[in-house]
Amino acid sequence: MTPRYTELQLDALRELANIASGNAATSLSRMLSREVDLSVPRVLALPLADAVDACGSADEDITGVVIPLQGDIHGVVLLLISPEGAATLCRLLGVEPQSDLGESALREIGNVLGTSCLNALASMTGLQLEPRPPHVTTDMLGAIVSSLALAHTASTELVLVLDSELEVSNEPCSISFVLLPTGGGVTDLLKPLGLAETTAS
Amino acid sequence: MGTVRMGEIEVSSQAGEELVARGLGSCIGLALIDRGSGVAGMAHIVLPEAPVSSEGEPEPGRFADLAVPELISQMTQAGAVVRRLDAVLAGGAQMFEVGDMDIGARNAAAVQEGLVRSGVTVRATDTGGNRGRTMRLTVGEFTVKVKEAGGQITTLFEADGAQPSARRKTQTKGRSGR
Repeated sequence: MTPRYTELQLDALRELANIASGNAATSLSRMLSREVDLSVPRVLALPLADAVDACGSADEDITGVVIPLQGDIHGVVLLLISPEGAATLCRLLGVEPQSDLGESALREIGNVLGTSCLNALASMTGLQLEPRPPHVTTDMLGAIVSSLALAHTASTELVLVLDSELEVSNEPCSISFVLLPTGGGVTDLLKPLGLAETTAS
Repeated sequence: MGTVRMGEIEVSSQAGEELVARGLGSCIGLALIDRGSGVAGMAHIVLPEAPVSSEGEPEPGRFADLAVPELISQMTQAGAVVRRLDAVLAGGAQMFEVGDMDIGARNAAAVQEGLVRSGVTVRATDTGGNRGRTMRLTVGEFTVKVKEAGGQITTLFEADGAQPSARRKTQTKGRSGR
């Protein structure tokens, strides 16, 4: 039951990721009043262990903002920010890092970026998508990514990772923006584009 | 580099080599040590049990019900003796409250159960809580060290001579206020 994706499907997913993260970058830029650069997104269909490695070093400390999705597809939007980057974001928003207020600011960034990403996905696919309240945690990257992927799929099949880097200009801050659709989430994303059928293997 | 990634099993009898399971969240790092033969092994276990109706062979290292006997079997092939094995567990955290189904606790229980069934003694555990961990086993000196995210390195198991000093620290379920 391992899903395989065709090049055409991966291209379509990359395009979705591109527009979704582009929207998120615009929102972040507005929120911070800073320019935000966006890398070309990667679309990777990988076994779980490789998916973790693709996100970074498994035991590095990282701040994760987790935005669970609800609506027509399952999955999470995950923002991975270095502790230094998280402190920079807090400073740009005028709050003390590593305080309750700092955490709440990061949660708000999660809200804004998650919502703008989902709005883009929804308008392209016609799906109903809503973010649930974000969690903020600073922990080991491997622990965050693997537990999320497992909690939302309870399987060890291929994990689809759509990720791009948002970089705040002239500041030591880059955000890894990861969309982790789970279960039937990928097929549901492809269906409105007329590309779902070839997933059957 | 002896990194044991998710679903992998490594066995070594080369003194000085390190076996490391990095960034354990709900996964379990299981270290088995036979000081008599100098063989040690580690599994990075992902889920409690293999799916019933899976197409093809499931990879044994991923599932507690298959990984425990597989690790033991690889170690006995390398010269270890089952009744001499010391087991050390770390991981099994509940990282997120939403949608987690506490896989971590189920993983820990499944590994413990598998060890009991195989007649292997658990010497030390550091499981539960809500932080990620990295587990490090040094072959030869047979120490097992655990580092919690944002925390210090602690020695969970030390095998000096015939008298292993072991301690047990199992965090209770539920989130502390950290």
